[in-house]
Amino acid sequence: MKRTLSILFTAAFLIGPGASQAAEEWGIDGEKKARFEAKVVDVLCELTGDCPADCGSGKRQLGLLKDDGTLILAVKNFDIFAGAADDLKGFCNKRIVADGLLINNPKMPLFALQYKKLAPDGKWSRANQFGKEWSKANGGKKAGQWFKNDPRIKKAIAEKGVFGIPGLKPKK
Amino acid sequence: MKKLLSALTVLAVAFFTVSGAHAAAAGKRVTVTGEIVDTWCYVTEIMYGLGTAHHQCAVWCAIGGIPVSVLGEDGNVYVVLKVEEDGTNVANPRIINIQTHKVTVDGDLYERDGVKYLIVTQVVDDKGIVNLTHEEYGIQPFGK
Repeated sequence: MKRTLSILFTAAFLIGPGASQAAEEWGIDGEKKARFEAKVVDVLCELTGDCPADCGSGKRQLGLLKDDGTLILAVKNFDIFAGAADDLKGFCNKRIVADGLLINNPKMPLFALQYKKLAPDGKWSRANQFGKEWSKANGGKKAGQWFKNDPRIKKAIAEKGVFGIPGLKPKK
Repeated sequence: MKKLLSALTVLAVAFFTVSGAHAAAAGKRVTVTGEIVDTWCYVTEIMYGLGTAHHQCAVWCAIGGIPVSVLGEDGNVYVVLKVEEDGTNVANPRIINIQTHKVTVDGDLYERDGVKYLIVTQVVDDKGIVNLTHEEYGIQPFGK
């Protein structure tokens, strides 16, 4: 549990605004810092040819297609409990330099995007677009603990409870 | 004419070999039974990521846009890219509504660079949440 909390909060809170644009280790088994150029693609489009405009405008999972044809699924960003679609949607079908952690896990490979820039010489930005957009959509509330304040989550938990089964409650 | 046809055939093969190397292809029809899980927490094991104990966090992550998967009874992780007619897969309410459920789905499987992607064409069966892990693991990750 200690390791879990360390991973979660290092990513979300402890990296200050002046941090350098270089991947941070999160202490996850199999992780390796990685910086590479790739084209941002809509994964569903890439696999099936079902291609909406603008890679789905943030409603589709996005991947990073390297020059050698390797498709890397961007699973995570720098915000706590959030993915990378909001960070990548603005780069649909463009080449970026991605910086983050490649996690080589026997179950499947994962990529956590931490920083990104338009290739080759764009300006680095932290991969925390989810939080920015969440804050904007929620009256400017700080996104640090967005998951405790999100109306969709509050509604889901109110309806089904923390265990997902109505009426089943934690022991006091 | 024979030479011309031969040359055209060679050119056609070369063209499709290059341009179609990573082009869309048909998936493999599959039926998968398993639990809907949050891909990040389950795969990285940064916390216990299954069943009732992790349900709340799985909802957080799905609404946060982390890919949702089916953990098949075969042990494979199938990343869900589409459920029936809905082509969105980030914070999709349909998927969030069945988070942690045990389901059986028909779909098309695409395997690429170590990831199994699933296009769900039909949710055949939904048994709801049956993996009662909270008594052993409490509420993951913060205990409330």
